[in-house]
Amino acid sequence: MCFCDNLAMVAKRQSFGKDTGLQARMLLTLFLLGLLYAVFVGVLFAAGAGASVIVVIAVVLLLMQLFGSDKLAMAAMGVKEVSPEQEPELHGIIDRLCVQADLPKPRVCVIETSVPNACAMGRSQKSASVTATRGILDMLSPAELEGVMAHELSHVINRDVMVMTLASFFASLASMIAQFALFFGGGYGNDEEERDIMIVILVSVVVYVVSFVLLRTLSRYREFAADRGSAVLTGRPSALASALIKISGAIERAPSQDLRRVEGSSAFFIIPPRAKKSLMNLFADHPPLEQRLAALERLESQLQGVA
Amino acid sequence: MGLRDILTGRHQVKDPAPDRLFAITTAYVALQSEHQIDPTGSAAIVFQSLATSDFESTLKDMEEVVTATGGDSGTTVSTEDDSYGYRWMILRNPPGAASVEDLAVGINAVSGSIETAGYGERLLCAVFAFADAQKRRVCFIYNYKRGYWYPFVPAPGDAQERSTERELQLKAQIGSEMPIEPELERWFPLWGIPI
Repeated sequence: MCFCDNLAMVAKRQSFGKDTGLQARMLLTLFLLGLLYAVFVGVLFAAGAGASVIVVIAVVLLLMQLFGSDKLAMAAMGVKEVSPEQEPELHGIIDRLCVQADLPKPRVCVIETSVPNACAMGRSQKSASVTATRGILDMLSPAELEGVMAHELSHVINRDVMVMTLASFFASLASMIAQFALFFGGGYGNDEEERDIMIVILVSVVVYVVSFVLLRTLSRYREFAADRGSAVLTGRPSALASALIKISGAIERAPSQDLRRVEGSSAFFIIPPRAKKSLMNLFADHPPLEQRLAALERLESQLQGVA
Repeated sequence: MGLRDILTGRHQVKDPAPDRLFAITTAYVALQSEHQIDPTGSAAIVFQSLATSDFESTLKDMEEVVTATGGDSGTTVSTEDDSYGYRWMILRNPPGAASVEDLAVGINAVSGSIETAGYGERLLCAVFAFADAQKRRVCFIYNYKRGYWYPFVPAPGDAQERSTERELQLKAQIGSEMPIEPELERWFPLWGIPI
């Protein structure tokens, strides 16, 4: 039996190369975030008892975010779940991808808007949902739609909602302290206490700013990973590339009234709903289209065996 | 999926589970003799077809092998692409000689050569077609990722409806003969089965 296994391993060829660079960058970003948060927590505890109350409040907020925010966001965006009878083609695509990814089927939802987009939500694979807008269903060919849905399912497989919520926990805490201080700042007891509080506030502001950049960086890496996941799942990187070109072209032309309705949670959309191109890539939560297309092109070359 | 995979957002497509395809060759005896469900003499294997020259040549070689091995029993092979971009390789027994064993051997030859070429992760499922005493179509689907079987009873015509009641009855009837997918939510339908 051993020989059989060995033979199978030799015969096993990799359609796609490894993405060591992306993984290393992602781990580095996570490490920097962790380091930043560790320092932050250290300062909070050094500052004394008042800080631990804040931490308790923040944990409650985090739990609320984890367990309620997707429902809230979904209600705000007019998301409605659709049955296989209502959307047979979309369900058919997702059924096949779930078999391929060995994933329990998420809820399938549609937003009735002409803006072409898609997103994934839910903190776990069991509670996940994938959403497509009417615009994207009308615009894309089945293969392109499959690529987009595989990208969203990759977010589900990679637990991106959970990872990003947890990663941004201390960033929200820091922003809370900074804002709290702005409203109620100053006028506490003796000089020493006041100095401690000032330090906490300063550190909070710095933590918030740095973690903001790091989180956006992390979010961009997760997008690359999901693009790659889609290519691996479908075996058709170029179909996703074609879909991204179509969607981004349409979004740049789309009227802004519709965009405002979906502005809320852009982190998990396949293309962020913004009319203009961002000059500040550092603060963008999605990588620029050209970079995503280039990455998909590399995957296609690996698949074709020419790279 | 480990913590590191979650942190780095990395995942691979699963290779086929240990092969339990041949469970159908014992299960169909019970289906036929005890439940009057007869094989229709056709089966199919569904996989993602990659648009690469290496994959295309793998498929070509494979078709030749299956045609050659099917020569004795008269099994014919045909391919069809569905609207989702998946390729169906359909095996048909000659009329009057519905042999589930021959079909299973043929399907296994196809999946075997796809796996040997290193594309095992592209295999989706295999479908065996049956008909009950009322001539209603009953399918048994084998999920390669999970290594489980499940029954699928589509409604006649083009309507995308299935008889879950009949499927559950079948599970009760044949569950001891073959490894049935334990999670009901993974009994994914396959509409428009071309066999």
